[in-house]
Amino acid sequence: MAGTIVRITNAARNHYGFLAANCSNVQAALLSTLPPGTPPPQTKTTFGPLADEDRIFTNLYGKHDWRLKGALKRGDWYKTKEILVKGADWIINEVKTSGLRGRGGAGFPSGMKWSFMNKPGDGRPKYLVVNADEGEPGTCKDREIMRHDPHKLVEGCLIAGKAMGAKAAYIYIRGEFYNEASNMQVAIAEAYQAGLLGKNACGSGYDFDVYMHRGAGAYICGEETALIESLEGKQGKPRLKPPFPADVGVFGCPTTVTNVETVAVAPTICRRGGTWFASFGRTRNSGTKLFNISGHVNRPCTVEEEMSITFKELVERHAGGILGGWDNLLAIIPGGSSTPLIPKSVCEDVIMDFDGLVAAQTSLGTAAIIVMNKQTDIVKAIARLIMFYKHESCGQCTPCREGINWMNKIMYRFVDGNAKPEEIDMLWELSKQIEGHTICALGDGAAWPVQGLIRHFRPELEERMRKFHGQERSAAQC
Amino acid sequence: MLRTTLIKALNAAKLSPKHVSVVSRASSDVAKKPEKIEVFIDDQPVLVEPGTTVLQAAALIGIEIPRFCYHERLAVAGNCRMCLVEVEKSPKPVAACAMPVMKGWRIKTESEMTKKAREGVMEFLLVNHPLDCPICDQGGECDLQDQSMAFGSDRSRFTDIDFSGKRAVEDKDIGPLIKTIMTRCIHCTRCIRFASEVAGVDDLGTTGRGSGMEIGTYVQKFFLSELSGNVIDLCPVGALTSKPYSFTARPWEIRKIDSIDVLDAIGSNIVVSTRTGEVMRILPRTNEEINEEWLSDKARFAYDGLKRQRLVTPMLRGSDGELTPVDWETALLSVGKVLRNAGSSVGAIAGGLADAEALVALKDLLNRLGSEDLCTEHTFPMDGSGSDLRSNYLLNNKIAGAEDADFVLLIGTNPRFEAPLLNSRLRKAYVHKELDVALVGPKVDLTYEYDHLGDDPNVISEIASGKHPIAKKLKAAKKPLIILGADILQRPDGGALLAAVQSLAASTTPSEGWKVFNILHKVASQVAALDIGYTPGVDKIRENSPKVLFLLGADEAAIDKSDLPEGCFVIYQGHHGDQGAVIADAILPGAAYTEKQATYVNTEGRAQQTLQAVSPPGQAREDWKIIRALSEVIRVPLPYDNLNEIRCRLHDVAPHLTRYGEAENANYFKQAEELAKTAKSSNLSGSPIDVKIKELKDFYMTDAISRASPTMAKCVQAVLKQKQSKY
Amino acid sequence: MARYLGIDKVFSVLNIIKENGGLRASLYKLYRMDELKLGTLVGTDKYGNKYYQNKRFFYGRNRWVEYAPQYYLDYDGSQVPAEWYGWLHYKTDLPPDQEPFRPKYKWMLDHVENPSGTPGQYMPYSTTTPKIEAWIPPKK
Repeated sequence: MAGTIVRITNAARNHYGFLAANCSNVQAALLSTLPPGTPPPQTKTTFGPLADEDRIFTNLYGKHDWRLKGALKRGDWYKTKEILVKGADWIINEVKTSGLRGRGGAGFPSGMKWSFMNKPGDGRPKYLVVNADEGEPGTCKDREIMRHDPHKLVEGCLIAGKAMGAKAAYIYIRGEFYNEASNMQVAIAEAYQAGLLGKNACGSGYDFDVYMHRGAGAYICGEETALIESLEGKQGKPRLKPPFPADVGVFGCPTTVTNVETVAVAPTICRRGGTWFASFGRTRNSGTKLFNISGHVNRPCTVEEEMSITFKELVERHAGGILGGWDNLLAIIPGGSSTPLIPKSVCEDVIMDFDGLVAAQTSLGTAAIIVMNKQTDIVKAIARLIMFYKHESCGQCTPCREGINWMNKIMYRFVDGNAKPEEIDMLWELSKQIEGHTICALGDGAAWPVQGLIRHFRPELEERMRKFHGQERSAAQC
Repeated sequence: MLRTTLIKALNAAKLSPKHVSVVSRASSDVAKKPEKIEVFIDDQPVLVEPGTTVLQAAALIGIEIPRFCYHERLAVAGNCRMCLVEVEKSPKPVAACAMPVMKGWRIKTESEMTKKAREGVMEFLLVNHPLDCPICDQGGECDLQDQSMAFGSDRSRFTDIDFSGKRAVEDKDIGPLIKTIMTRCIHCTRCIRFASEVAGVDDLGTTGRGSGMEIGTYVQKFFLSELSGNVIDLCPVGALTSKPYSFTARPWEIRKIDSIDVLDAIGSNIVVSTRTGEVMRILPRTNEEINEEWLSDKARFAYDGLKRQRLVTPMLRGSDGELTPVDWETALLSVGKVLRNAGSSVGAIAGGLADAEALVALKDLLNRLGSEDLCTEHTFPMDGSGSDLRSNYLLNNKIAGAEDADFVLLIGTNPRFEAPLLNSRLRKAYVHKELDVALVGPKVDLTYEYDHLGDDPNVISEIASGKHPIAKKLKAAKKPLIILGADILQRPDGGALLAAVQSLAASTTPSEGWKVFNILHKVASQVAALDIGYTPGVDKIRENSPKVLFLLGADEAAIDKSDLPEGCFVIYQGHHGDQGAVIADAILPGAAYTEKQATYVNTEGRAQQTLQAVSPPGQAREDWKIIRALSEVIRVPLPYDNLNEIRCRLHDVAPHLTRYGEAENANYFKQAEELAKTAKSSNLSGSPIDVKIKELKDFYMTDAISRASPTMAKCVQAVLKQKQSKY
Repeated sequence: MARYLGIDKVFSVLNIIKENGGLRASLYKLYRMDELKLGTLVGTDKYGNKYYQNKRFFYGRNRWVEYAPQYYLDYDGSQVPAEWYGWLHYKTDLPPDQEPFRPKYKWMLDHVENPSGTPGQYMPYSTTTPKIEAWIPPKK
């Protein structure tokens, strides 16, 4: 949940008018005068593989020491004071230049998001909340960061917090991540002891605290407002927006909720410069990204790669190819369980970045690729995903509470084929009735897998129904 | 929690429609009014304040957007999604109840997208809603029924009914008043929000999630509050229905009569539903100045007390000392004989449920007989100006005015149970406007926090002299309120207490037109009785020892046989066989408030009338008519023969008594305060201030009607049972 | 001859009057029952009702009852016991007292007349609680 849903909701802000004005203004301005903070235009045409010296997460596999000593060796906390001293505007400008888009799923430009917070306050403290509630099935990037490179996140909190003028950062970590939480806690303690956090953090004169809060294991708490509610000690149920967290967030104060990866790459961006980061990936999709490849591949892995790499190269190079060869590929879910699947025909030349996957009628999400080869019962797989969403729906608003439950029932009938072909259209309509009608994006996330299935595997569904009713008929004749 | 975040959320939502604009808390009371913005709803332009929601804007031009979870008086939840409407240029429909309008928005409430969204939500709501409308008490007045007719699809495609069926949820036992059929629940959370925001009892909540979500009390306990019945009205479906009313009547077969509640001094407006000459239920009627749209449980559920312990025939105490039923003629003749023989040695005590017509008729009758001994059961000090000046005994600042107060000092009162709807206003101000409350008296649960100043009456003089820390707050407050419970004025030093409080009130510096000094009465008849000229308190009766005592619904046992001289003939006129009827020698059966058209004046001085919903049972008659008939028998006929004429008489006595719906302001605050200084006993005694009704269990049975009510008795039992439970 | 002149009718009238106990008794009977008939007495039941038969009348009118004198004008059909009812309505050819196969069981109730309109009549009562419960004064 950490992912898709949060960002999707952010993107949805555009629908509410006032932000749309903001965005388009910014973009119009970009085109005409190129103010500071514009990512340089991309000149490359092929992307990946990423060179080792360009990797941000150098201890992704835990081969080195994750504690402060090791982190310092890898370049973390290097000249953090100087970065802080350069000020919030400089940091935001660097992040804008880097073209960094939120890594949680919706891909809202981080520089812009942070700049919303950096405005004269009204006396209320501001908070940075780091969304480490990584619950999306298939996604396992944040846990690697927190387990093996926690200082990247701690330093990122400090820098992002400085950029927003936040008083403190709360890391809301998924309850199931026990080891990650303890590593994080150790890293925070180490940073405090080394004077990197707390009063006069890094000697920059800036006071900043980082707290960690462990969740209780609800997927919905990865939605930013539900996370805020949960952090406040209430039931994790998404709030209505507006007011957005940037106005009224945690404890009624302005708050920004960002993904772990977004925060963790910020120090490196500041150190190596936004233009360096922007040199990866296509325009508007710049940077490096942690990809999780799971499912029917020879070597499932989490890997940092350049954005805009093709799926085929990604999976062949890092995951050792599909089980049974490329031709054995059936479909992939490209960005965590909530994104629509794409079949092999689309996978052939799909580009793994925000725009490339939108063009394929799906979404980059958290870049957690679930690969399914031809041994998969695709209907059952999607039905299982819907069951997950049914189980994790908070129950607050009607379409999600009642709709997903209903979809789940229908999907499990589809697994057997115990349905009529008309019901496929009905299911499509139901998913459309859920999508966009709910408070948060969990409803959307549950509707999309179904839509993807119907879009690409309708013949399969109809075949099953035919078979089921054929068997029934022959049974009746006997 | 609720208090701070809600305010901020509301402020922010209201004042910063733009992401960039910043709200400061001080800016909420700045003088400059934000400009109105224009939006278009179904192409009709409408000018609204910034921060108005789409739903409110639509309501301004009479377009109703369907809703389930939204309620004007509760926080916005936005979870039913029934109010989704299309906004031009937005790819998704927006929730009208929560979304503030932006300049130039074009909202389409009848577009294809809107209709589709509504139909979809309605379909989802009905997926798990049982089709038991024929046996559902909400049938006929059910929001879900109505809206599915208006906005739902005309056919079902719920094929899964053949495979897995619908969800079923176990019912919960949440007390003797509210019946739950949780399977019908559509999870709008109105009841939860009411309980935590208005009633101040955080007992209701949701457990589970997704399709397994349930509304309940978390642990097995009762939902006990003095306002609990309102969740029945709030529930848009039949999940919460009235237990006493269950399976008794249908909304289309009952007659509805607007009336006034008389079981407390608030005078809540009610609708009495009757069928075949029987009161079936009582519902609140919206009156923004009094009860908004809430009703206390006593007013709502004590109606079954109107059917028990009734006096249905005149009775006389025979030679054997037993009360035996007689006909009206015999009763009137023998009572008349007694009255004639007694001459001017007649006294009268009016009880808490007496109406103004009966009060004035009785007063006229006794005055004609030469007696002035007319008293009310509930006392009020006569020192100083006593009841001569109305400002002394009214809730001068009005019930609705309590919402605007910034500091409230409660003395010797427990508004939560003496006037639940005044308390809900205070709570509203506490939650939404940062009202501070202080209380002198026993420590009670008011559902909000307050400074407890102890129960020593001398605190009042300490505050007046400025020694007490709270004095500063009182002085600084622009809109302070001092609410004095009428009950504590029965103390021997009541006069001194009243004087002390009056001088304290005079020492404040309120803004223009704000009235600091307020009295909160407990019974419905008191203000009218004092307006008409009754003497508060029964001391006069004790002193004068009359030969005949006329009790007009006096059931509080303010006086008993031992106070009266040997052979004193007691006449009881009223509608219930309670403490008054037991000591009576003659009983004249009167009508209860649902059975007569009568005038009552509430604690703020607002005259209102009840209307006749059913006819009085048996041979019972309207009270003023009995007195009129009696006057004929003793040959001092009263000069009014019908309701209009007696109301003319009321108008002569006090014109405001017949200006229905209006609260007559009192004047002469200064003079009252001056006169109070002349009070004889100016020394406060040291005995602690006490209130009678401290807890919920004391609230339910306070008068003849509620004492006769089985439902109220069950409520008391439930409270006692709850106390023993481990939760 | 007499037949042609209709004098036999006069005789038969006189005969009827005679058989019925004279002019006075006949007038009384006529007043009481609006009818004066000649027939053979077939039997008497336990109430004293007398049952007559006269085959001269056509079927349906040839058996009748004369109620016992104590009923005066208050007679009605329910005063005929069941066995005589059967005879009156041609369910049996023989009167009950001569019927050889008439069953007699212990459980057969004795016939009683319909008590409607008398103090002994059945009075239905309400099983619902009254809408208003009156106060009952406490006894000393």
